[in-house]
Order: sequence, then structure tokens, then C-alpha cells
Amino acid sequence: MFLVGSFFLFAAFLITTCIFVIFSKNPVNSVLFLVLAFLNSTFLFILIGAEFVGIILAIVYIGAVAILFLFVVMMLDIQITTLMFNIKRYIPLALLFAGIILAEIIYLTVFKTSKDNLDTFIRSKNNTEQIGDVLYTEYFIDFQLSGIVLLLAMIGAIVLTHVYRPTIKRQNIESQNSTTAEDRVKLVKIKSGEGIKDD
Amino acid sequence: MTSLTYNHFFILSLIVFIIGCFGLFLNRRNMILILMCIEIILLAANINFVSASVFLNDINGQVFSIFILTIAAAEAAIGLAILVIYFRNKGEIDITQINQLKD
Repeated sequence: MFLVGSFFLFAAFLITTCIFVIFSKNPVNSVLFLVLAFLNSTFLFILIGAEFVGIILAIVYIGAVAILFLFVVMMLDIQITTLMFNIKRYIPLALLFAGIILAEIIYLTVFKTSKDNLDTFIRSKNNTEQIGDVLYTEYFIDFQLSGIVLLLAMIGAIVLTHVYRPTIKRQNIESQNSTTAEDRVKLVKIKSGEGIKDD
Repeated sequence: MTSLTYNHFFILSLIVFIIGCFGLFLNRRNMILILMCIEIILLAANINFVSASVFLNDINGQVFSIFILTIAAAEAAIGLAILVIYFRNKGEIDITQINQLKD
């Protein structure tokens, strides 16, 4: 009973925060509500025993992605725009989505009752060990490929946002390697009484 | 309904997915909100994967959820980079003006 009560608490909170993400006018508020939504889904994952994915979700989404969003929102200095809310245009779409939800709920609750229960499972290993057993053996290639995807995303983001400024002094390796000793050092013979003429 | 079943999680992920889709259609002026709606949709997919994995007692769903997280992080980085250069060129993030990029 505690499990079901906690589920409904977190699920209601998750749906509410998702709605607030869409409908808040200030993008900073939207990002903070997004953080709250991810936090609630973390609680849900921990509730049903998927601790590793829950904690990874908290670290990756709240720690990295949401903070990235927050930095961009604060950096862009956009004016607060009102939502272009034309209710007549979206009524067919809203009815379609509402119909899909209603049909799924009726199908699941009336025609198909799931007998799966959390209490019947016996776990020999904990969640992290189970994931590690599969992730580093069966999905090894996919694991490496996801690393390559992250590397590509990092390089792409840097290349896209990098601005070349000629006023900044930095090391130019090509010009360093192509210079000779004659370009840098000059031997000057000084006659007595005349000094060095600047030519 | 005194015990927690997969149906609870499936309906929850469906509702979250529909909220994300609806936000995607509703927001036409703010490109950041569209990226956030994509994140919400990926979160719904994650909820579905993880809950199905737990209730079917099969760990592969959680492994796929980790891959979805990776792709979502990469997508957010690239999307925000495109957003930053678009804002630098245009001075606004109105998505209705973005078709001028093809000229």
C-alpha cells in the first residue's frame, strides 16, 4: 500500500511539473520545473528497484543537461514571450491525444489486467551488478559506440559555437615550424663611433 | 488495485509523452521550450523502458535506458549549440523565422 501511495504521489507531481514546463512564461522557470520532473522520475525508478538508472538519471539530467539548458537560457538574454496560444487551431490535435489516452486507459484497465507484481521477484544480485554483467559483455560494442556518439557531440558543439578572433594571441604551430634562424636573429657588425643604424 | 502493476507506469509514461508532444505543437515562438519538450518525450520513453524491464524481470530494458540517456545528452548539446549560433546570427530564437536559413 505504501508503494502504491508513493507511486501516485510522485506520478501526480511528475505530471504537474511537466505541465508547468510547457506553460510557464519564463524559460528559467521551465528549466527548473524540468529539473523537478527529472527528480520525480528518479524517485519513481528507485521506488520500483531500478536504482542505478535512477541515480544515473539524476546525475546526467539534473547535473549536466538541465544545467546546460540553464546556462544557455541565462546567456541568451531573450525577452519573455507570451505563448502563441490559438485554442481553435489545436482542438483537433487535443481531441486526438485525449482519445488515444482514453483508449489506452480503457484497454489496460478493463480488458487486460496485468498480473505482474513487484513482490514476487527474487533478486540474486543487486541492480548495478545485473546491469554491469550485461553492459560490458553483450552490449560492449553498443557501449563503445555510445562513447563515440558523445565524442562526436562534443566536437560538434565546440566546432559550431567556436568563434575565431584574430585579435587573440595564441600559439601558431605552422608559423613556428616554418621560421628559420635568419628570420629571428641578425648578426650586426658595429663600427666604433657610429653605433647601430636602425634600417 | 492495491498492488503496483506495469499498467500504472505505462499510463504515466503515456501521459508524460502526450504532454511533451502537446508542448511541441503548442510552442511556436521559443526554441528552448521545444528542446525541453523533446527531453520530456525521451523521459517518457525512459520510464516505459525501465518499468517494463523491472516488471518483466529482464535487465536489457535498463541497459537501453542508459543508451537513451547518452543519446539525449548528445542531442541536447548539439541542439543548444545550434540555438546559440542561431541567436548569435539573428538576435532572436523565434522558430517561425527559421525557414529564412534556406535562402
